[in-house]
Amino acid sequence: MSDISGEESGAAGGISGRGADTQDSRFAASMAYFERAAKVIPGGIYGSKSPGFLVPGHFPYYLSRARGSRIYDADGNEFIDYLCGYGSQIVGYGNPAVDGPALEQARKGDLLNQPHPVMVELAERLVGLVNDMDWAVFVKNGTDATTLATSIARADTRKQVIISAEGAYHGAANWCSTNVFPVFMQAEQRDVRFFPYNDIQALEALFAANRGNIACIILTPYHHPTYKPQQLPTPEFLTAVERLCRAESAYFIMDDIRANFRLDVHGSHTFFGAHPDLITMGKALANGYPISVLLGTDGLRKTASSFFITGTYWMSAVPMIAAMATLDEMERMGGTAQLARHGRMLKDGLESLGREAGFRARVSGPLAIPYMTFDEDPDLYLNQRFCAAMADRGVFMHPHHNWFISLAHTEEDIARTLEAARSAFEELRLFSSSERF
Amino acid sequence: MKLSIRGAGPSLHLRVPQSSSRRPSLLLFFPNIESAVRVLSGAKGTAVPIPLDAGVLKTLAFFRRASNRATELLRAADTPAAIRARLLLAATLYGLEAIAGESYLERRMQIIPDGVVGVRAGEIAYRAAKEGRTIHVDRAVPAEADGVVSAVNSPRPDAVLSFAHYQSAIDVLSGKRQAVVALGSGEVRIGGLLPLVQGLFAVLDRLSWYMGVEV
Ligand SMILES: Cc1ncc(COP(=O)(O)O)c(C=O)c1O
Repeated sequence: MSDISGEESGAAGGISGRGADTQDSRFAASMAYFERAAKVIPGGIYGSKSPGFLVPGHFPYYLSRARGSRIYDADGNEFIDYLCGYGSQIVGYGNPAVDGPALEQARKGDLLNQPHPVMVELAERLVGLVNDMDWAVFVKNGTDATTLATSIARADTRKQVIISAEGAYHGAANWCSTNVFPVFMQAEQRDVRFFPYNDIQALEALFAANRGNIACIILTPYHHPTYKPQQLPTPEFLTAVERLCRAESAYFIMDDIRANFRLDVHGSHTFFGAHPDLITMGKALANGYPISVLLGTDGLRKTASSFFITGTYWMSAVPMIAAMATLDEMERMGGTAQLARHGRMLKDGLESLGREAGFRARVSGPLAIPYMTFDEDPDLYLNQRFCAAMADRGVFMHPHHNWFISLAHTEEDIARTLEAARSAFEELRLFSSSERF
Repeated sequence: MKLSIRGAGPSLHLRVPQSSSRRPSLLLFFPNIESAVRVLSGAKGTAVPIPLDAGVLKTLAFFRRASNRATELLRAADTPAAIRARLLLAATLYGLEAIAGESYLERRMQIIPDGVVGVRAGEIAYRAAKEGRTIHVDRAVPAEADGVVSAVNSPRPDAVLSFAHYQSAIDVLSGKRQAVVALGSGEVRIGGLLPLVQGLFAVLDRLSWYMGVEV
């Protein structure tokens, strides 16, 4: 076996700021688990948590615990976390205001034969809170909610076609996942059509080409693709979506799963002035407890009632109790105003530190759900270097997926993050001037 | 020389080292795909050599030796890792080039962004350019003292894929080690435009299904 000579971080190699040995010892337990996992789990760690989505060698693969804004890996390393369990943490890991009542219910009984009365309370609360919505159906994963939403739209309209934005993520079911195997293309994916987000002309053309066959359009409140700057909707775009849906008698589904309660407690559609017929929420809904919800308008109640909707775990009580507590705690901790304030500190700080170091770093997306890219490097080499350098300094910022601010992030956390960013940008500057890609 | 298989699309041109002529001296014609597969994998099969120009015997002899040697080297237990990796990498990348337009991969190729991937294992370096439904592979020829590195990096590829050791390349390319696992363990590194290089992994899966390389 031949080693590749002297090219640890090789010019054509991957990303690295430190030697592999240093990293390996920092993540020895993570690596050992990964090697064991590779023998018994396809891919070791599959899907979006696969190490290749991060920067191997700089990020932990296994986490053992978390508290507030901090996560701790299997080796005991501590990070200020800006991924928040992919958005599910909104009032902080292990928040006693949520965990207290949830654990108490766990002791009394979680998964029962019939629903716990809290199901009614939660449905009433969400219907009262989220603008324009009249009913609620609880499921487990976001994918359950988006799949149910598109199915209800199809059943109600008796039409097949689903329209979606290119690069949008609506879950891991065959109709919407990136598992583009021909066998699915001929079945579940056959009637899903794509257009570039915010492109009214392309959308009009798509509606025209599929006239009479469109059941629904599914959109996230703003466009949050991986690997790319985030895009807010133009007001004209949302107006056009609603006009086209009306003319086609197609439903407008807003997939608010990633953004819910970070932009507006009444739903992200309120934040952007949109009027969807169906809304899906999940993630932050119960601060990490497994529950998602499909909310709908009166016009779809009858079709929803005629659906057989079930899952063994879909009515478990603990996540519903947790959701009620999360809604209370969110408001108590300062709500969306605080998220935006801290998001503003982070955005302004990062952009100005980037400028000082000579980079065109740009933070896109809403303040509470930011993502940083470098205008000079759409290939993301700089992102990967920057986030690796931040991870080396104890800050978990995903290089390819948007970040999340939670109500557990303090001003001090943001200040420490910016301190780390100053030296990470400096490392990046030295790397950029000395190293070829 | 020119290789042509009846009923199997465009023919392939192979340049024999030290040949000066630009025109092919030999057309090797396979009457069907099965015989091409047999001959090219070192077994007995029908191939009709058609002389086109001077130097035909030399070309034929070279081809016989080279094609036998390649399969021999892949099979032999004592083949040095560097050579085995070189053969597998070439087979893989040119294989990608060959199957990119397949209808099975149409949607996959659509969602993989266009761009160039720099691929490296030790001294071996290639650039694979994905554009629309095609993949074009070039060997990165050492350009200066530090050789391969500068060649593979100039101009900067949109994504890079490098194997930590020749053995890592062999394990991954022969299907012994899953690419995603090798990534996690650091045997394979990727950087830059990840959807480009990861998309090609998916195309690779399809390729290994065809080739079933055993080493
Ligand atoms: C916008 C959006 N929709 C749907 C989903 C799928 O949710 P889940 O992973 O809970 O199935 C996600 C998850 O990331 C999401 O961000």
